[in-house]
Amino acid sequence: MKKWNWIVMLTFSLVVLMLAACGNSDAGSASDNENGSNNSGDEQTEQENVNLRVVTTMAGTDPAGAVFQEVLDEFVEEHPHISIENDSQSADAGTIRTKVNTDFSSDNEPDIMFYFNTVDAEGIINEGKVVNLEEAEGIDLSGFNSMLEQQRHQDGNIYAAPQSGFYEALFVNKKLFEENDIELPTTWELYEKAIEEFAKTDIVPLAASTEDSYYVVEHYLLAAGGMENYNAELADKNEAWAEGLDLIKQHADMGAFTPDAATIDLALAQELFKQEQAAMIFEGSWLWGQLEEAGMGEDVLVLPMPIKEGGETGELVGGASQGWFVSSKSYEDESKKDAVVELFNYLTSEDVIVQIAGATGQPPAKGELTDLPDYLKAGHDLVADAPAVALPINDRIYPESFTHIRTSVPAIVSGDKTGAEVIEMAAEMEE
Amino acid sequence: MKGDRIYIFLFLTPAFIITGIFLYYPFIENLLQSFYNTDGFFNSTFIGLDNYIRLWNDEIARTALFNSLELILYVTVFQVGIALILAILVDSITKGAAFYRTTFFFPIVISGAAIGLLFTLIYNYRNGLLNEILVSMGMERVLWLTEQSSLYMVAIPTVWNYVGFYFVILLTAIQKIPNDFYEAAKLEGITGFQKMFRLTIPLIVTDLKTCMVLAITGTLKIFELVYIITRGGPGNSSEVLGTYMYQKAFEDTAMGYGATIAVLIVVLGLTLAFITNKLLKREEVTY
Repeated sequence: MKKWNWIVMLTFSLVVLMLAACGNSDAGSASDNENGSNNSGDEQTEQENVNLRVVTTMAGTDPAGAVFQEVLDEFVEEHPHISIENDSQSADAGTIRTKVNTDFSSDNEPDIMFYFNTVDAEGIINEGKVVNLEEAEGIDLSGFNSMLEQQRHQDGNIYAAPQSGFYEALFVNKKLFEENDIELPTTWELYEKAIEEFAKTDIVPLAASTEDSYYVVEHYLLAAGGMENYNAELADKNEAWAEGLDLIKQHADMGAFTPDAATIDLALAQELFKQEQAAMIFEGSWLWGQLEEAGMGEDVLVLPMPIKEGGETGELVGGASQGWFVSSKSYEDESKKDAVVELFNYLTSEDVIVQIAGATGQPPAKGELTDLPDYLKAGHDLVADAPAVALPINDRIYPESFTHIRTSVPAIVSGDKTGAEVIEMAAEMEE
Repeated sequence: MKGDRIYIFLFLTPAFIITGIFLYYPFIENLLQSFYNTDGFFNSTFIGLDNYIRLWNDEIARTALFNSLELILYVTVFQVGIALILAILVDSITKGAAFYRTTFFFPIVISGAAIGLLFTLIYNYRNGLLNEILVSMGMERVLWLTEQSSLYMVAIPTVWNYVGFYFVILLTAIQKIPNDFYEAAKLEGITGFQKMFRLTIPLIVTDLKTCMVLAITGTLKIFELVYIITRGGPGNSSEVLGTYMYQKAFEDTAMGYGATIAVLIVVLGLTLAFITNKLLKREEVTY
């Protein structure tokens, strides 16, 4: 009889363990809320305790991470009934996409998130998982500059409020240019001349990974045909795109890249530039944080990609591709709605936007940064003076197609493929 | 007997439930996904066998498959081979055996990611350890990771990482062999090499077989070392099935096609394990 008792107890324990392990997130969040409520004990406070979860890309090496946490702490201090779980994850490895998609498809969405308002958010928007901010009661969208309009979805609604803009450009170590008596690459000819001259020295002309060639591809495509061709659809199989890829090979043959460019990643390419072993790098405005940490902000100048033909030098890749989303589930939950709206309005207030933007030096979506060092201001001027600005190609084309283009660059450089073949295949993938 | 059946059932049920939930259910789900064009989350269209047809015609997948098989060959020969030699050597010494045992086993406790990073820094062209040594000796830098060499360069840390694991298994097996066998053989005038080939290896062949099956199936799962050291490059020259599946499923969000590559990995693993077992089938050695 005793044996049977043991067996029954063992089976029961296992069943409980399995149920606990497989319990869905609803149960988790419900119990979280209960715990939150219980913290106040039996004494009923004026406002119910609320737990919110926020997912952003402000983590890891992003200098905005620490500032964002400070901002959240200030909010919690002012609103003691609200507690916030900061579930941010770096955007570096791209796993944030999997995390956000998993959260939303498993009914475990964050209450507020700062995420890519690009092809990456299409599924979430189409499923009605996020709120149309223009129609959401209590949401304040006033005071934004033109970046807000860039967030408008093709269905005419706005689902994300911008935080700051970014630009991608050619970062140049002007100290190395001066020391080697080489002219700054302000035109296509001077750019090619700079590659040629640096290739004769021990300095790598251009720090780049040809496998992780996001920025290289974008800038060479822009250089080959200007903004008009850059904005073409992949299905058009634009000749300037193929030419841009072939130009990468031409410059690789001139010695533009380090010999191991096909196997280093973006971080190692950045290291080459930061250690002053490379004279130029294609990067985004977020690089300034790292350059300042390395103490070389003053030595670096940011320049637009020189256009070879068909456009005007000064045209930029950039914009505001990330924004603050509010999940429909939280907004429709009466117990959370007020707290969510309050936090959203706080995070998108001018003070907070400027505070976070200040950490990276990127142009804010509201207000402006003051007392900027000259090198950062030069970047902001670049955006203000740009004849045209467009989002990166990978934000608008089918991900597999862009990966094919990007990862084919080493094969183009080695002569195994041509730019036209790669674009042809990428277009086929999109079909 | 009836009572035994209840115990068998009761004791197997937890394992069956856990395996079912965490292994068989995901695998069946993966198999189903392979018939869809899906990002795994919101967009999903049934496309029948299209993913399998695509896999059949995919040149990169073919490269990844052959690279995986080539790595299996290197890993099986060198991991198990070196482990066997080291085990025999360590078994034959009287002093310092514990030191060597710890030293050879040590790489196992380091994570694959850390080893990957370590070898990235060793192979790096401008600031890597190997090239710094060459430069300090007045020689030219060498590009270690080329299309021709990348797979070998990935195989080196893979072999080094797991030699210790097989070394411990084989050393334990060798130490289990009764000393009488060697004493009798010594009286017959056996030499060192004869002792190894005619006595030690035949007596541990069961353990060798286990090591080989583990090495083959383990290499099919290789991911982190390749991903960190070469990212499958240059130009897909070191792409293996694990890295290609990751790229398709998580970087390109083509979860359906990634699932199809995963099915190939499972089928290949089972087939190779089955073939190895068949080829090495012989009577168990008991002593």
